[in-house]
Amino acid sequence: MGILTREIERAPCTVEISHKFESLHAHVRFNNGAVIYPGDEVTVQGPEIMAPFGEIVSEDREAIIVRASKLEQLWTRMTGDLEVMELCEFSFSEEVRL
Amino acid sequence: MNVQNTSDMKGAKPTHTADITNVEDSLALQQEQAKYDDDFATNTAMSNTLLTPRFYTTDFDELDAIDVSPVREDWDKLIAQMVSDPNKGHFKKNEDWDHVDWENMEPQLKKEFIDFLISSCTAEFSGCVLYKEMKRRGNNDDIVQLFQLMARDEARHAGFINDALREAGLRVNLGFLTQSKKYTYFRPKFIYYATYLSEKIGYARYITIFRHLEAHPEHRFHPIFKWFQEWCNDEFSHGEAFALLMKTDPKLTSGRNVLWIKFFLTAVYATMYVRDHQRPAFHEALGVDPDWYAHEVFTKTSKLSEQIFPITLDIEHPRWQPTLERLQRANVAIAEGKEAGGLGGKLKAWANSAKAALCFAQLYTIPAHKHRVPESTRLEPVY
Repeated sequence: MGILTREIERAPCTVEISHKFESLHAHVRFNNGAVIYPGDEVTVQGPEIMAPFGEIVSEDREAIIVRASKLEQLWTRMTGDLEVMELCEFSFSEEVRL
Repeated sequence: MNVQNTSDMKGAKPTHTADITNVEDSLALQQEQAKYDDDFATNTAMSNTLLTPRFYTTDFDELDAIDVSPVREDWDKLIAQMVSDPNKGHFKKNEDWDHVDWENMEPQLKKEFIDFLISSCTAEFSGCVLYKEMKRRGNNDDIVQLFQLMARDEARHAGFINDALREAGLRVNLGFLTQSKKYTYFRPKFIYYATYLSEKIGYARYITIFRHLEAHPEHRFHPIFKWFQEWCNDEFSHGEAFALLMKTDPKLTSGRNVLWIKFFLTAVYATMYVRDHQRPAFHEALGVDPDWYAHEVFTKTSKLSEQIFPITLDIEHPRWQPTLERLQRANVAIAEGKEAGGLGGKLKAWANSAKAALCFAQLYTIPAHKHRVPESTRLEPVY
């Protein structure tokens, strides 16, 4: 990893989307053990995956990981904390007036 | 139009995925539902709502290093209770789920209520993503099990809200997974403070509305509120788990970290106040004064958080309420400035951002109440 340069990596992954009444969830799992670090950017290749209601869809895809530079990683570590308020359930609506 | 359940489908086959016991039935039902879904979407031009959860990383080694032995007894009890899954089967629509007249709902109320549902669904969903990630990256069995259980609850809640949204003609789009996303970073202790408070204040918010509507059922304009009691018990247990996690390391709740705790308490309370005032029609329909509601929720949350935090905010201080009101006005003015655009708009937004920052500082500097944290952390939901 360079101080300023970003590196690009490809990783096989499995995407699982559950659009069921009893569970709405979506996850990406890297099948080669790739680990994501602060500031990295991940794009799953291929068309959008839609699970019809009541179904769980699981697909093997390839993901492109754009590794953050050392500097970016440091910056994300320093500033990421400021975004922590997003974890609060009532802070998601961006609209100030509806 | 009411699409709340699959009762329109003929035949004696199971109509709920939770009732299914074999694969064939499951497939058949899914196909039928998918068809039903697509038809419905085409016929009503169901709007798509793209969920946009955020993705986080944290210091997973630090998380693995947690040792729950000092709180083992309480921990095992709590985990056993979560494993027994008392709410399994609760998040299922039954005869209590009354018909919702979406078409005749007052437009502003509908808008605010849908915003409420979408933001709740996104929050549950993001919680699920975060917890699942922690579960997957962790190597500490206690921690992994806890996060797995919490991810289960969050996904279940998200599914339930999603169903209410479908009824309103909104289809949640999970296509964000194939969009590029950047991972941000939180220090583990910030995750504890923020999620602990978020779960406890979530409990206080849900139970306050639930109790209010118990006393004033005429204001219950949507059946989802009937599910709030058991729902918030999940939030309560999650908060308990984070309290125990913090209890394992006294440093987390002492010394300089108390300043962080005060920061999170102030930020969470202020954010809730500002956000809730963005939904006036929603609160009016519930028959709830947002100022009363905020005060009630803060009081409950403060009482609960005494289990682990050595301070509580002085919400009776003469500066508290007026400063919150100024913060709310500044927040509206920032949005107006941004909307207006141009140099004037920019200046307005900047000036009010400075005002908001000042308000926050004024709230933060109100002296806090100090108290002794009890030996045993565990609480039961009693509100």
